[in-house]
Amino acid sequence: MGDPQNITIEGVSPGMEFGEASYGPVTREDIVAYARASGDDNPIHQDEEYARRTGAPTVFAMGMLPAGYLAHAVSDWFGGPQHLRRFKVRFTTRVWPGDEVVCTGRVESVEGNIVRVTMQARRRGDGPEALNLPSEETALVGEAEVELPE
Amino acid sequence: MVSAEQPQGEISFQLPVERDKVQDFALAIGEDNSVLLEPEAAITLGFPDVLAPPTFTVTQIFAVPREERETRLGANLDYGRVLHGEQEFIYKRLPFAGEVLQGRMRIAKDFTKQGQRGGEMRFVTYETTFTDAEGEEVLTAYYTLIETAKDVG
Repeated sequence: MGDPQNITIEGVSPGMEFGEASYGPVTREDIVAYARASGDDNPIHQDEEYARRTGAPTVFAMGMLPAGYLAHAVSDWFGGPQHLRRFKVRFTTRVWPGDEVVCTGRVESVEGNIVRVTMQARRRGDGPEALNLPSEETALVGEAEVELPE
Repeated sequence: MVSAEQPQGEISFQLPVERDKVQDFALAIGEDNSVLLEPEAAITLGFPDVLAPPTFTVTQIFAVPREERETRLGANLDYGRVLHGEQEFIYKRLPFAGEVLQGRMRIAKDFTKQGQRGGEMRFVTYETTFTDAEGEEVLTAYYTLIETAKDVG
């Protein structure tokens, strides 16, 4: 694939796969840092007691934290964030403290200079004991379009 | 920072893209790409300053807090049962540090459908367009909330 910084449209074809790019394990400190940087101060992500009152066993990451990881990953695969033209995520399950976030992607099509990519971010970890979660599951499903030079 | 006169059903606001905020946000999502962190690296690539990470404009919540958004746009969501369902960004380019974006937010979609476990789920999508000092489009963000049915945990 060569140096991703110099990736060109000719170097990309449908079916190409990227990843795993792994982030975390996510800590409570990471969640607090993201809350401060992003302005998402919903206490459900930071305050154990508040989270429990809503029925969650503990705090969990705001979806945009693993979404940020996924945007980072797709940016790295295609030579930098400046090439992104579209980024979309759907949140399918929560990411808990202690989870790793594992990002993968696949090129679906190449039209002109636009590469269309589907992506996944999976949570990998034990999760809160009370929930008895699978040790790995899809947390985010994404799509991106990247414009690459000739 | 919200201006007084604006069309009904729309919130206009300014989002200053400050370098230290951009760098803090980048570090909070584990970014190590120099174009987001080091002005020299961004300048070498032809940009005026560090670029904002692709998801940076979620910081619009600093300019328009949730209560204000709800009051002004009137979605009347019950946040005790609201989930962030989807997020999408369409980019002309990424913002760069030092510019002030003009944001315009409105409700783009608001519909209900049957949930898998019974009860209606409501989907509300807030659309925010961001333009630059020349009035050129920079990006559009779509923030979709799902209000789950009352009888579903």
